[in-house]
Amino acid sequence: MYGWIWRHLPGSTSVRVLEVLVLFLAVVALLFFVVFPWIEPILPFDRVQVG
Amino acid sequence: MSDRLDGTDPERPDGVDDGRSMLQDALDRQSSGGRHAAGPARTERARVGRATRTPPPPLSVGRWIVRGVGELLITVGLVLVLLVVYEVYVTDWFGARKQAVATEQLDTRWERSGPAVVTVPGSGGGSVPGPSGSATPAPPVTPGEQVDPATRTKRYDTVVGEGFAKIYVPSFGTDYVFTVIEGTDPDDLYIGPGHYEGTQYPGQPGNFAVAGHRVSKGSPFNDLDLVQACDSIVVETQDDWFVYRVLPMQDEAATWNAAAHAHCTGVPKPGGAYAQVFGRTIVQPTDGAVVFPVPGSNSNAVPADAERLITLTTCHPQFSDAQRMIIHGAMVASYAKSSGFRPPELDAES
Repeated sequence: MYGWIWRHLPGSTSVRVLEVLVLFLAVVALLFFVVFPWIEPILPFDRVQVG
Repeated sequence: MSDRLDGTDPERPDGVDDGRSMLQDALDRQSSGGRHAAGPARTERARVGRATRTPPPPLSVGRWIVRGVGELLITVGLVLVLLVVYEVYVTDWFGARKQAVATEQLDTRWERSGPAVVTVPGSGGGSVPGPSGSATPAPPVTPGEQVDPATRTKRYDTVVGEGFAKIYVPSFGTDYVFTVIEGTDPDDLYIGPGHYEGTQYPGQPGNFAVAGHRVSKGSPFNDLDLVQACDSIVVETQDDWFVYRVLPMQDEAATWNAAAHAHCTGVPKPGGAYAQVFGRTIVQPTDGAVVFPVPGSNSNAVPADAERLITLTTCHPQFSDAQRMIIHGAMVASYAKSSGFRPPELDAES
C-alpha cells in the first residue's frame, strides 16, 4: 500500500516527500475532526453522569 | 539490476538469496562513490531508472499477503496512537476553547447584569422565584460579610449549553476554575462541568449536582480522587459566592470532630437522613439517587430542613466508565459579591 502510493505520486523525490506530508496531514485531520468525534461516544470514559 | 545498483529496490531483502555478500555490495557502492559521484554511464542509467520507474518484479501471493497484513498492522497501530493523542491532548484543546468562549459569555452577562448585590424579591424583572414572598428589601450587605443564603434569590436564568456559574477548587490550585454549563449531554460536558438539570442551583437547599470529565475534554474532574474532607469547593454565581466543603470520608465519619481543624468549621457530621452521605463514594452508573436533594434517598423532593449540598460526579476508575466517583460537600458560608472582594477560601488551598 505505502509502496504503491509512493510509486504513483508524481514529481521528484522532494516533491513526493511534500505530497506524502500533505496526504498524512489530510488523513490526520480526517481522523481528528470526523472519525474520532464519531466513535467517541462508544469509548469507555466519555460517560461521567449518573442515572 | 539497475534497481539494485540504485539501492532503491524495496522488494529485495539485502543479502538474501543472492550469491553476493552484503559486504561486497557495500564495497561496490563505495568504490563507485555513491550514486551522485558515479561515472557518466551509471548516472545515465540511474536517471533513466528514476524517470521511468520500471515496475518492481511481481510479488508472489504469499509475500503480497504478508506485506499487506504488515502494513495494515502498522496503520492500525498509528491510528491507535493518534487516537490516544486525540483523547489526551486534542480534545483538551477543543474543550479549552469551548470553555473559554463560555466563560467570556458568562463574564459579559454578569457585567451586563450590573453590580446589583442587594437582592430585592421582584427586582429581577419578575422572573424571580422568591421563596420568601416578602416584599421587604433584603438587608444591605457590607462587602466581605457573610450572608444568610436563605436571603439570597436566584436572579439569573439558565440556558442549556451555556454557563451560569464558576466552580473553584483551591486544593487543586488557586487558579483552578471552570465555568459550569447547564445540562449534562455530551455537548454540554465538552464545554465544561455540567449541571444536572432538575437538581438545585448553587446556594439553594437541596443538591447542586455537577458532572464533569475525568479524562479528556479539559479533564475538569481529573483529580477528584485527591480531594480530602473539608477541602473547599467555591461556587460563584451572578450575585453570590457559595463556599462548600467536602464532607467527612466514610472512615472519618464515626469519629468526626469538626473542631479538629480550623477549616473544618461547619462541616457537618453525617447523621439523620444524611447518615450515608460521605465525602467520596463509588457507585454504579445507574445510581441516580446520588444527585437527589438527600443523596441516596428515594425521593427527589426537597425536605423542609434540607442541607445545602454540592455533588460532583465523574467516571471511575480513571480511563473507564464502569463506575462513578461521587463527591459530596455541604455549604458552610456564603458571601454577596461586591467589586474587589474575593472569598478568603479561594486563596487558602484547603
